Amino acid sequence: MNAVDIVDFKKEYRGGTVAVNGLSLSIKQGEFFGLLGPNGAGKSTTIHCITGIASITSGSIQVYGIDVVADYREARKKIGLSPQDFNVDIFSKVWQILDYNAGYFGVPKEKRATRIEELLERFDLTSHRNKAFQHLSGGLKRRVMLARALVHDPDLIILDEPTAGVDVEMRHDLWRYLRELNELGKTVILTSHYLDEVELLCDRIGIINNGKIVALGDKGEFIKEGDRLEQTYMKITKGEKWSGSTA
Amino acid sequence: MKHINWIGLYTFIRRELSRIFRVKVQTFAAPLISAFLFIFIFGFVLGQRIELIAGVSYMSFVFPGILAMNILASSFEHTASSVYFGRWVKSIHEMLVAPFSYIEMLVGLVASAMIRASIIACGILIIGFLFGALTITHPLIFILVVASISVIFSLVGILVGMWANGFEQLGVLNVFVITPLSFLGGMFYSIEYLPTVVKNITLFNPFFYFIDMMRFATIGIHESHLLVGAIVFGVLIVGLSSLVLYLFHIGWRIRE
Repeated sequence: MNAVDIVDFKKEYRGGTVAVNGLSLSIKQGEFFGLLGPNGAGKSTTIHCITGIASITSGSIQVYGIDVVADYREARKKIGLSPQDFNVDIFSKVWQILDYNAGYFGVPKEKRATRIEELLERFDLTSHRNKAFQHLSGGLKRRVMLARALVHDPDLIILDEPTAGVDVEMRHDLWRYLRELNELGKTVILTSHYLDEVELLCDRIGIINNGKIVALGDKGEFIKEGDRLEQTYMKITKGEKWSGSTA
Repeated sequence: MKHINWIGLYTFIRRELSRIFRVKVQTFAAPLISAFLFIFIFGFVLGQRIELIAGVSYMSFVFPGILAMNILASSFEHTASSVYFGRWVKSIHEMLVAPFSYIEMLVGLVASAMIRASIIACGILIIGFLFGALTITHPLIFILVVASISVIFSLVGILVGMWANGFEQLGVLNVFVITPLSFLGGMFYSIEYLPTVVKNITLFNPFFYFIDMMRFATIGIHESHLLVGAIVFGVLIVGLSSLVLYLFHIGWRIRE
């Protein structure tokens, strides 16, 4: 079973802007998938439609075989999202943000307490647990977003620019943790403008431009002939034809 | 029932209550001080110089209206600010990505608004008791009326929170609809004192029925047919709930 199946997905915003047009994509269970593209290409829109933040204009999206519209509650239980924006009650304390979100996903009280402690420690947030979100630095805020995404132990982890503003040590620590989670069978979708990060972590990569997948393949296909991912990415987003698959 | 996200719903209500207790002065002290002043000035000071209305003191006559106004205002403010603030800082996304049904979202918002309104109602009842204005003739109807008013205005608050595109719009309904219609709904006077034309127009003001039903529940007098009042309550609750659920379903102004 695939973790994500997107078929002929289109998203048109009010006002007529078409952000994604006819995108089809499958992500295998247990895969570490990199979704790349320039700003405004449709990456975040696609993520928002998978998670329920945005509505789908046409086409279908399934998560672990569950339709995200028809059976949205079951689909959402599978997903943990660390969004690009800090979409959180800025007056809440760090532990409250984790506690509330675990509760929303139905995690019982005792399990919640253990899980929160584990994540506070993992993301080096223990000393900040009683601080309001608005009083944290950018890097700490990003860590809270990551911890929040993982608090209900989801099968599909979607990380939209997860390391923006995060210091080097924490970034390396996060990479190690994401690898561990992936080895445990979690599926990870990563969008990032740090292409070295994508090159290091992802098994498969898709590049989206103007709302369509313009390149899709194993990481090896993007870094063959001594090219780095960044070079291949630049060529593709500047219009050079991709020799691999786009479906 | 097993499909209900009980832990999620409880957490939702817990978070909403935490939000209102964070700003206790604004959510509890302000309406109680305001209610105290209304009761003291209109009921106690002026009321002593006003003759009996429908056989009761002016203090007893205005008290139910003040109570109803505060219940509806606190319910409205609760959900309107919760939904609007959630949209503004995008924290509403937390609800959208969580496994909540639209009914659970509605129940979470309305239940927390009802708790807030109940706390304020208890405070005002204590003030009324201190001024000797507290009478509850029909306790069961009183609970139903308090709950119904709170539900109606928390639903209106959700709609305004979804519709508003700025803090100014958030206050528009309060300034131009809620306050004028409460005052013109017989809060401080009997509609029998009005010219016939104005009295007939007042019968189309739903706020008149909220105040009149509250007056019946507390001091046992009413100026409209009770069945009409009950129908107004029922129609508004069913109509507004359906509208909110539909708008949640299509994601109007909450989903991109």
